[in-house]
Amino acid sequence: MNAARRVGVLVAHELRLARRDPTAILVLVVFPVIMMAFLKPVFRPALVETGHAHANGAEQVVPGQAAMAAFFLVSMVTFAFFAEHGWATWDRLRASAATPREIVLGKSLPFLGVGLVQFAVVLGTGVAFFGLDVRGDVVALVPLLTAFVASLVVLGVAVTALCRTAQQANAFGYSGMVVFGAIGGAFVPFALLPAWARTVAPVTPTYWVMRGLRAVILDGRGLAAVVTPTLVLVGMAALFAGVALRRLRFDDKKVGWA
Amino acid sequence: MIPLLDVRGVRKSYGRTVALDGVDLTVGEGTILGLLGPNGAGKTSLVSIVAGLRRPDAGTVRVAGIDVTREAPRARSIIGYAPQDTGVYSSLGVRENVRFFAALAGLRRGELRARVDAILHALGLDELSERRASQLSGGERRRLHTAIALVHRPRLVLLDEPTTGADVRTRAEILTLVRALADDGSAVVYSTHYLHEIEELGASVAFIDRGRVVAQGDVARLVAHHGTTALELTFDGDVPHILRADGALVDGSVARIPTDDPAATAAHMLRELGSAAGSLRGIEVIRPSLESVFLSITGRRYESAEHAA
Repeated sequence: MNAARRVGVLVAHELRLARRDPTAILVLVVFPVIMMAFLKPVFRPALVETGHAHANGAEQVVPGQAAMAAFFLVSMVTFAFFAEHGWATWDRLRASAATPREIVLGKSLPFLGVGLVQFAVVLGTGVAFFGLDVRGDVVALVPLLTAFVASLVVLGVAVTALCRTAQQANAFGYSGMVVFGAIGGAFVPFALLPAWARTVAPVTPTYWVMRGLRAVILDGRGLAAVVTPTLVLVGMAALFAGVALRRLRFDDKKVGWA
Repeated sequence: MIPLLDVRGVRKSYGRTVALDGVDLTVGEGTILGLLGPNGAGKTSLVSIVAGLRRPDAGTVRVAGIDVTREAPRARSIIGYAPQDTGVYSSLGVRENVRFFAALAGLRRGELRARVDAILHALGLDELSERRASQLSGGERRRLHTAIALVHRPRLVLLDEPTTGADVRTRAEILTLVRALADDGSAVVYSTHYLHEIEELGASVAFIDRGRVVAQGDVARLVAHHGTTALELTFDGDVPHILRADGALVDGSVARIPTDDPAATAAHMLRELGSAAGSLRGIEVIRPSLESVFLSITGRRYESAEHAA
């Protein structure tokens, strides 16, 4: 049996587990849609004031809330690993024919798909119900969002590697969502952030995805405008992967939820 | 012929605690090796090293000639391992749990279905196959846990205390299945601290105590070699001095006297004790068994060693 087939078996298994408890996946979609309904009117004046006379507020709030909620992926990935410890199935996986690399791929790849579907649904909802107008090339969003979601998924693996307990990983996931969302310009328009926040924003993946999203949605630009953000996000994913590779110990005893 | 399991000079420490101190073992096709020892003796450390989950500090482990440390994935493909803690996916059904691990082991389509059906039937789980694991009783979960380890018909089976917490039916089904696996040619390493299970299985035995194999062989040979009948006298308070003088093995309030004729020895001891017999709480005859083998080798009763661990 080849490695690809084993990874396929692991991916299908992870999706089966997710289907049995879809709450977390629903939160990825429901949370930003609720926030969009509340916050859209607030951001119209802010966008108009920053030189986008045509804006209705959806151009900030729809991608911003989608990017913020996407940070839940970090928690979902860490949960996928910590739950195996809680269920005492981690050693069973390790004792199977699957290699450590296959197990990590099989457990994290499904969340790449989940993240991309989340963006498709939330942006689609924004277009259908909140008057979101994507002025630029929609195709440009594909590499940008793929790189962003990949960086979050790999960050989830790195957080798993660094944390000993599920509570530690959970704390990082939730505080990371708020802090990265705020500093990265997902919660409020980047132009309105204080100077210190604008200075540190580029260390967050959220800043780079929002920069690309703004360029395509608000400024009507295409692929050329997302090249830099996409490459930086790929670089961040590589950095997180390096941390994960260095720190992930398969025989670590982790404290799971269950 | 290459043994299915060949363990040579394995050592493992956790900080300053020595878990395994130079363990040698071999297990051939169609045999059951009972890994016996009190809690904390090193059984789980040994089994997890054989399963490729932990690296030994020294020594080698070969499974069908494959070095477990160097070629772990290849070795693991022929191992079926049931850890000590019950590990199942609670939100999935019984069949889904078993199917997943069968698929991960490389089984497909018709063969996968047939193997899953067979193992569910063998462990009395066919009626429960669509039930979620979270709705199973403790014994049923233990059977599911064991089914997962065996569904791909591994050549080397590692069962770490499989009957811990199991009900009578579960225990009987697991023992029957273990015997059948060996009859089909698998090598089984069966770790337990229940001596009578090994006697029931007719397994060969490796006694582990404080990280070392202190005795090894088939039950009959070990019992014949080390097992002697002993008379055990338990007192309220200290053992009277007269018994110490008679050469009894004294352990707190218990005195043990090896003897070929326990009835005569008991009568003699009661006469010797005289008025001190008033503090006698009980007399027990310990027949030759694995328990008396352990007593003979370590100087401690298996039961008390287990409590002390």
